[in-house]
Amino acid sequence: MKGLRIAAVGLALVAAPVLAGNKLIPAGQPVAVAKSVLTVTPSVEWNKLGARPGRNSETWTFDGDALNDLTFYGGIEPEQTLFREVSKRTKPLPRVKATMLVTDIPTLVENSYRIALDTPLFTVEGMEPMAFAGKPGIRFTYSFTRPNEDLPRKGEGRGAMIGGKLYLITFEAPRLHYFDAGVAAFRQVANSAKL
Amino acid sequence: MRRGWGALACAAALTLAAAPLAAQEKTGNKPGFTLAPGTATIVLMRPEIAVGAQSTGGSYEPNADWTDQARENLGRALAEAQGKLGNRVVTHVEPVGQGAATAHEYRALFTALADSVITYQFFPGNRLPTKKRGDSFLWSIGSEVAKLPGVQGADYALFVTTEDHYGSTGRKLLQVFAAGVAGIGVSAGVHKGYAGLIDLKTGDLVWLNADLAMGGDVRTPEGAAKRVSQLLEGFPGKPVEAPVAPAAPAKTAAR
Amino acid sequence: MAGWIIAAALAGAALGAGASDRLAPLPPYGAAYTPTTVDERGLWQQADEAERDLRDSPAVVRDAALNAYLTKVLCRSVGEDRCRGVRIYVVRAPYFNAFMAPNGMMVVWTGALLRLRDEAELASVLGHEFGHFEMRHSLVSFRRARTIGDIIAWTGVVSPYSLLPVSLIRLHFSYNRAQETEADLMGLRYLTAAGYRPLAASHIWERLMAEEDATALGRKRRVTHHYAAGFFASHPTELTRATYLRQVVGTGGEQGDEARDAFLTAMRPWRATFLADQIKLNDFGGSEYLLGELAGGQWTPDLLLTRGELYRERGNPRDLVSAAQFYQQAIDAGCTDPIAWRGLGLSLLRGQQGAAGRAALKTYLERAPQASDRAAMAMLIGEGGVQ
Repeated sequence: MKGLRIAAVGLALVAAPVLAGNKLIPAGQPVAVAKSVLTVTPSVEWNKLGARPGRNSETWTFDGDALNDLTFYGGIEPEQTLFREVSKRTKPLPRVKATMLVTDIPTLVENSYRIALDTPLFTVEGMEPMAFAGKPGIRFTYSFTRPNEDLPRKGEGRGAMIGGKLYLITFEAPRLHYFDAGVAAFRQVANSAKL
Repeated sequence: MRRGWGALACAAALTLAAAPLAAQEKTGNKPGFTLAPGTATIVLMRPEIAVGAQSTGGSYEPNADWTDQARENLGRALAEAQGKLGNRVVTHVEPVGQGAATAHEYRALFTALADSVITYQFFPGNRLPTKKRGDSFLWSIGSEVAKLPGVQGADYALFVTTEDHYGSTGRKLLQVFAAGVAGIGVSAGVHKGYAGLIDLKTGDLVWLNADLAMGGDVRTPEGAAKRVSQLLEGFPGKPVEAPVAPAAPAKTAAR
Repeated sequence: MAGWIIAAALAGAALGAGASDRLAPLPPYGAAYTPTTVDERGLWQQADEAERDLRDSPAVVRDAALNAYLTKVLCRSVGEDRCRGVRIYVVRAPYFNAFMAPNGMMVVWTGALLRLRDEAELASVLGHEFGHFEMRHSLVSFRRARTIGDIIAWTGVVSPYSLLPVSLIRLHFSYNRAQETEADLMGLRYLTAAGYRPLAASHIWERLMAEEDATALGRKRRVTHHYAAGFFASHPTELTRATYLRQVVGTGGEQGDEARDAFLTAMRPWRATFLADQIKLNDFGGSEYLLGELAGGQWTPDLLLTRGELYRERGNPRDLVSAAQFYQQAIDAGCTDPIAWRGLGLSLLRGQQGAAGRAALKTYLERAPQASDRAAMAMLIGEGGVQ
């Protein structure tokens, strides 16, 4: 039974890009994201991808997720993973814990990516406290490469543990041109986050 | 992108597997972009070329002889075509040291850019809403590209990628079987070709031909010429040419 | 030797025809060779391209001292004639693996360097891979794999590690069982000729098996003594392998040089990095086993610190208590790395021991005033603003 369910998820991953369709996110309007109570108000328009990384997440982009990727995680509960596991048996992902401190959030992202992308080339560059959705939160920066792609990428995250659940927004793009071109728009969206 | 397969890769895989490719666009250019003959210098970046065989199981087996032949044939065909593009084309001199790493990163970024154009603009079911308006074609590699060693003095940069996996007999039989019995689309062979023109003043992608099912058997001179003509079809500023006689049918790319 | 119950049939089957020439002297080595057939040229070209990619890749550890040490061990192991012209690349990958491509490029993953115990074990691994190269194994199996692949349609290549170009991983997969045995025996001949302790070879496999079992147990899966599918499917059952290696070596197995100190000294600058890569794999069972093996009864400060990180990473309530204990033990044993106080503080805070946790974090900040996370840690203490 479990095997069937994993297959269905895998299929969803494959089928989604065509079937679900990508939607326009208009500028200037508050919008609830990631099937949660988290809302943001972008000042420029974005595209929302039909494919989701996981149950309580969604991805926005300007030019396609390989060029800019803004992902929301809305209220990931304890014992859940950050995104869908490819193989629970051989590559289980770390899980959110109720006792997590904000400083554990970058580590959760780091280890989840190291495992899912099969790479030790992930570095958390720095972190500092920064309010998120009006609560004590964290801002962190990171860099990683998917080696069989040879295109170094940069990332920035804003998040907090609120009511025992993880709320997080990340922005990732190739370090060549695309990260700098999109990061200001990401920061505006993250600053507008409300619960 | 955190998943082993991004939405990008999935859509590309779907494209390979789906039977009707006719609906898919293959060319895009920046609206209003024109290039008059004899007005510009274009630097041709080192083409990425890979040729091999595809076994029944779908695995790729590189073939050195084929790749060597392709590099030679495509190189010659590109050199011939260069002179007929209406503008002066020079070959990029690969930098050494740090410049080499940067050139490598730019080629990787171009590939990601071209893949994104195919997935999110050309592929009709998946177009991003902001890319759907009128004849919009807003793609860029970033204006910093002007600083890449070896491109100074040129107005445009031409990037070329080809990848060919020729399907074996077993693979073709499987294709027929799978389609007939299981109704599954099985791709036989991969014939990927991208040609993109970057405006070095702005970094904008002003023109792109990108097709996952190109023609021309690159292992032969005639086939390589046909492939290059497809890659450069509609190249901005190219003078209109007389129709070319079709290549010998026995050697066309397997589909 | 004692303790092993050897199934003679098993060992005999594994050894096959090789038993009669065990530990014969090495043949003379003819280095010059260029590929001639279409298949072989394809493989070499693939290897050449993969090597070009590796040269630019951030996944390669570019440390002159480390590379020089590995080259030295390879040359001692297989001899100067053979090691001349071999290019060694250390790839940052937290799993045990090493292989040699037909064009003379050798790749060693950092997970192997973490798990090897001494120079003799390193020599046996490098020698084994060189054995495949010397006997030109890949060509024969590349042809055979094509036919098998044709029969099993739609079997995707599931590589547990996509760090390297897929082409390189496929090159490695293409050895079969008989070839692995040949390479094992070839490796033993190198070891003996070089004066290393030949029993080193079998020890590695015994530990790898046990670690794999520990991983499976930690993930509540069934314990087996061979990899079920994919990556190591072509290797002989580890148990069989450990068994026949011990057998062939015979009673002289424990004599010879292990050069443990030289090995540990060479690895020291990198050990913390390799350990960190391992901890982040979310493999509690395997990592716990590995740390225990590395400690060998003597828990050094850095291993205690790593154990603390491991438990804190899993983060269940009892784990946090254990983690705090390990960090404290590391500190008591003389650990000076500020990370120890950070880990202690975070574990205590999560375990609802606020005062003690904040005190430990304060010490962390005193010891690491330039840390990239100092502002975040200050917030947890209550110093420094939230925004």
